[in-house]
Amino acid sequence: MTLDIAGTLLTASVTAFFVGAAGSFVDRRVGYLASTAGSVGLLVVAVTVLVGGPVTGATWSGPLGDAEGLSVDALSAFFLLVASIVWTATSVYSLAYDDRPSPLLAVTYSLALGSIALLMSASDQILFLIGWEAMTLASYGMILQARGRSERVYSAAFVFLAFGEASTLFVFLAVAGLWAGTGTFAFGPHLGPGTLATLVFVSGLIGFGLKMGIAPFHMSEWLPIAHSSAPSNASAVLSATLTLAGAYGLFRTVSLLSSPPLWWGAVMLGIGAISALLGALFASVSEHTKGLPAYSTIENNGLILVALGVALLAESDGLTALAVFAVFAALYQALAHAVAKTGLFLSAGYVEHTVHTFDLNSVEGSVKAGSPGEYAGTLAAVLSLAAGPPFAGFVSEWMILESLFQSYRFAQSWVQFVGLLSGAAVALAAGLILVAMVKFAGFSVLWKPHSSPPIRRAPGLGAVVAAVGAIALAVGVLAPWVLGFLAPSASALLGTRVSAPVGSLLSVPSGWSILSGSPFGILSPPMIPLALLAGAAVGAGYCLLGRPRPRRRATLWMAGNPPGQPGQTYTSFGFSTGIRIMMSSVLGTREVRESQGPVAVAGVHAVEPYSVDLEVFDSFKLFYAALVRMGDGISASLKAWVMPGRLGRYLAYVLVVVLTVVIYVAAAY
Amino acid sequence: MIESSELPARRPGTGGTHPELALAYAADDGSFAVYNDYSAGRAVFRPRSETPPPPEVAATWRRTRDGGQVRPVAPADPVEGYGLFTFPYGPISMGVPESGRFDVRTYGERILALVPVAGYKSRRILASVCGQTVPDAALRIERLAGNFSAAHATAFLSAAESAAGASVPRGELWVRALAQELQRVYNHVHVIARVAEAASQNVGTAQTQALAEEMLRVQGSVFGHRWLFGALLPAGPRRRLDAGDRRDLSNVLRRHAATFDRLWELFLGSRTFVDRIQSTGTVTPSLAKEWGAVGPTLRACGVPWDDRLRVPTSPYTDLFLDLPQESGGDALARLLVRAHEVRASFLLIEQLLDRWTTTPEALEAPAPPVAPSRALGRVESPSGDLVYDVTLSGDRVASIGMRSASQANFPLFARGLRDGVFTDFHFAWESFGLVFSEVDG
Amino acid sequence: MPTWIGQAVRHGIVTSRYPAEPASEAEVPPTGRPPVAVKGSKLLPAGASLCPVGAISDRAVDRGRCIRCARCLPGGFEFRGPVESATRTRTGLVTGEPSPAAPEPTPPLAALSRSVHVFLVDAGSCNACNLEVLALANPFYDSQRLGVFFTNSPRHADVLLVVGVPTEEMVEPLRRAYDALPAPKAVVAVGVCAISGGAFAGTPGLHDALDQLVPVDVYVPGCPPAPVHVLDGLLRVVGRGRKAEGA
Repeated sequence: MTLDIAGTLLTASVTAFFVGAAGSFVDRRVGYLASTAGSVGLLVVAVTVLVGGPVTGATWSGPLGDAEGLSVDALSAFFLLVASIVWTATSVYSLAYDDRPSPLLAVTYSLALGSIALLMSASDQILFLIGWEAMTLASYGMILQARGRSERVYSAAFVFLAFGEASTLFVFLAVAGLWAGTGTFAFGPHLGPGTLATLVFVSGLIGFGLKMGIAPFHMSEWLPIAHSSAPSNASAVLSATLTLAGAYGLFRTVSLLSSPPLWWGAVMLGIGAISALLGALFASVSEHTKGLPAYSTIENNGLILVALGVALLAESDGLTALAVFAVFAALYQALAHAVAKTGLFLSAGYVEHTVHTFDLNSVEGSVKAGSPGEYAGTLAAVLSLAAGPPFAGFVSEWMILESLFQSYRFAQSWVQFVGLLSGAAVALAAGLILVAMVKFAGFSVLWKPHSSPPIRRAPGLGAVVAAVGAIALAVGVLAPWVLGFLAPSASALLGTRVSAPVGSLLSVPSGWSILSGSPFGILSPPMIPLALLAGAAVGAGYCLLGRPRPRRRATLWMAGNPPGQPGQTYTSFGFSTGIRIMMSSVLGTREVRESQGPVAVAGVHAVEPYSVDLEVFDSFKLFYAALVRMGDGISASLKAWVMPGRLGRYLAYVLVVVLTVVIYVAAAY
Repeated sequence: MIESSELPARRPGTGGTHPELALAYAADDGSFAVYNDYSAGRAVFRPRSETPPPPEVAATWRRTRDGGQVRPVAPADPVEGYGLFTFPYGPISMGVPESGRFDVRTYGERILALVPVAGYKSRRILASVCGQTVPDAALRIERLAGNFSAAHATAFLSAAESAAGASVPRGELWVRALAQELQRVYNHVHVIARVAEAASQNVGTAQTQALAEEMLRVQGSVFGHRWLFGALLPAGPRRRLDAGDRRDLSNVLRRHAATFDRLWELFLGSRTFVDRIQSTGTVTPSLAKEWGAVGPTLRACGVPWDDRLRVPTSPYTDLFLDLPQESGGDALARLLVRAHEVRASFLLIEQLLDRWTTTPEALEAPAPPVAPSRALGRVESPSGDLVYDVTLSGDRVASIGMRSASQANFPLFARGLRDGVFTDFHFAWESFGLVFSEVDG
Repeated sequence: MPTWIGQAVRHGIVTSRYPAEPASEAEVPPTGRPPVAVKGSKLLPAGASLCPVGAISDRAVDRGRCIRCARCLPGGFEFRGPVESATRTRTGLVTGEPSPAAPEPTPPLAALSRSVHVFLVDAGSCNACNLEVLALANPFYDSQRLGVFFTNSPRHADVLLVVGVPTEEMVEPLRRAYDALPAPKAVVAVGVCAISGGAFAGTPGLHDALDQLVPVDVYVPGCPPAPVHVLDGLLRVVGRGRKAEGA
């Protein structure tokens, strides 16, 4: 009986988004309210599944005779859970944020959410594909809602669409491969090793990797978000849940393939590590309030891939404990990233809403005084993404590094070597992302303005950011129990029943600690805030009860200059120029100078006014430019040869086609 | 580069006035720039009236009316671009112990333009000495730059003496030369110590600082004052320069010269030290000539110019001076020139002490001229060419102009640091040997 | 092959014994001591007529004004004053004043007697005072052996060490530096320029006395003071100075 209610709720929730999309034409708020309701419904369904077991909604018979419909198992429940948390926050936020005259943002937003919900709760691959394609189209529409539609917006949206369709193509291939191997579109039977499995794996990795924005497809992630300055609620949905859909697809694909060969894991690990490093590097030199979080998404998705790669390698090598731990790490990374990234984008939206800028250099902390919620929430999100204890990102980053530390357990030395290099890359990425996050927090909320800028308020937005920050904190502190809650999802992925890697050590209560392999690392997230509180209590007691000590205070010192002169403060750009110069070989840093030539001033001294721009360049752009040139060239030559504009030639084509069909039909009967 | 055959024949000077300088000066109305005609190997004065300078750029000369305005002392390259900001360094910082500001235009890490801003510590000396007698004025002039006091006192006194038509006893000229060379050694050693400190050469820094302190003690024991204040003025502190003192001095200096040679050999053997100053703060030879670099900065660009040879004054005309020359134009080249000059100065002092024939008699204040008269004094200070333009009215100073080495070299320092990084700053700054008080006056 | 270590060993220890022992003659040249009338105060009027800065009056010699120019030597004066010349009060610098000497006030930063951090401000000097202060770091004086450290920011300092005659342009930066010093703090005026304007007293656009701009705790006379004098002044801030000669 309970399950029936859950099934109905699932159907109703998914439908709510589409109803909301239609209702948005009447009033924007209908769309956002319906999305909120749908998200909360999905949240309930996901929790029900993780506690109770699979839930099935509406089902019908598909065109190919297969059973189609909505159904959520433990694996999809995890992704629905994460997505619904994000959507609840963004939908409530959108009510206060979206003040555009046009309802199109609300429409496309609800459609995008609905299609992601559809693909995540699809019981079979056909519905999954429908949801997948609908998601791409709806997101394309959402990006087009950027303020000030310019050539740049269109081109960025087009890039998104192009990468999206390429992704659909590869996903199609993967689905076709699965069908060819198992004879069904249902998510169920496993595909054994072989050429077909390799085809499915490679197509899936490319197709879903395209959506996750991993290297070398990272252009698809940051370009539309940063260049078009998509609306902030849209950015959060794109960055936190559209890439999550890609991760879901990848997890689902992996769960359907049995006995993976060693090189799959190695490839996944390598690509993940490179993505993490590139994402972190470009995030640290980004000056865009949304470009920076978008690059950070690439880093985080790279880390998910790293954890999944380790899990595959461990599975191939028979290291069950490590595989289980790595799977939990991958799930936790997905959860931590989605929550914190939502907070960061909503914070950027707050900045956009109050200061009307996307340039980190000109934010100058002018939002600080406006809302304590914005302040605290942004800090929590930033700390989580920078892997600061005791936030969610810290736990997942620790778990991933712990699993990489154990790469010495692998049998083959080349696998150990891949693990070693990836570990180094991930550690470097962790350091670089710290720079990026310090920059974001430093120049948005922590900045101390010398003069007092006008106080900008948007309390509704701030409250949502604070709520998201609180979730990031809770997910971090309560990690052992959250891991236990996620155990069904991990079991679904691994195909065997596993329990969360939690245990106890010393006097820490049982179940309060995360163990990474029996004699390896241990971490007790709940003890971190307890230790912090204890330290604070000791400090407070010392201050209150101890001998009072003289306190020496000093004013700001600017080498004798009056503080707060305009143009004399460190810019966000200057903050990361060190990285631009240090990593110039990777970033392709070059200085572009334009000069009008020397101008003589005062006798012998000639001065030369010039403008300077320190540019970084993503060398992958060259690859895509070459691809575009090649495509243009082929299409131009084809046009000249196949479509010369002569009627006779075209009639001949028609004749050939008709004849071929006739012959084929005749041969069949 | 100038062939030695192109150099004008040395002629005995009289009290520091050079015929060519006198000629150029006579043709000018007072507002002029001094520059060196390198191809002809001579100093030339160019009337300023031809190209009046805009007010935002410092005049090369400091004059009586100047003082008390905070102003840039190098042309500012206007740079614009995304993420740029101006980083003010100073006026008060321990890295540069004098008060002066540097406006660094940067996008972080790299120096795109650097504008030195002086005038914070202008003591209005040139204005305040007008109307004073020459000895009283000299008390302030020698305090214009404490570590170049001998050069300032000599240049000012020789200008005043020329204007007054007074002849200076030969022995007094030797004393002045001795004082200047001692102070040159101190300053060069001090510069090397500061660069070594910036390069974290801790043992080398301590050893070189100790040698600099030894030089101050030598000056204190010979002239009664560690900074030679009053030492070259009429009625200054007692000097200890009789035959026995000169012998002792010679012995002491020979020991210090040997110490310096050892230290410098060790410095050149330290790759970290040489690497750090190589191609730091580079000045090209063409810019050095065009902008009128002076002193070690100029000689480090391959131009063998030194007032001690080019503006012949006794006793340098009778002494052997080995003029160093480097072509790199960077901090290393300037340091090589300075190290060579330390040796050359030790050699000059040895020659001076060797040929010392008479005990110098006390210096009398020059007799007042009848009509207002004007003259130039020009000496090679440790950092380069220093020129005084003094007009006397009776026994008092009527007006005064000064062009110091720091004024000439500041623009080159600023340009040399362009495109460097923040950490280059101290190496470049110390290697130029610039003094803010000499610019502020 | 010469090495830095070899050079250091060869050089030996040169560090001064000051303040455990009195300053040596090498450390204080003749002009390092203030002038005194060798034959008693009856020579003072003659000296006053010779003195270009008004340091010698008919009744006393003001060490806070004397620039050691030696003009008074023909009038019967000699540089034979006390070596430890830093004082806690401006009037303490005037020798021969018949009024009873005021008791020396307690050191301003006695609590910091083990280590004191110093920030140098050039208010308008000729660079000689700056270099003498920096010379405290060289192996001869090695101020760190006495717990005297130089900082790069006034925010980390206990003592503001001011050299030079304060120019109008430096008044604001100087005041900012003073304000940036955390309390308790002390100010040491080094050199007669900072104490009385020295050779530049009375020039328009200059502030003759530092103590009219910020409160001064210790006065170190001299033009410039030798490093041991600066050290004496700094030790007097924390109450570790040598007892003055003849006091």
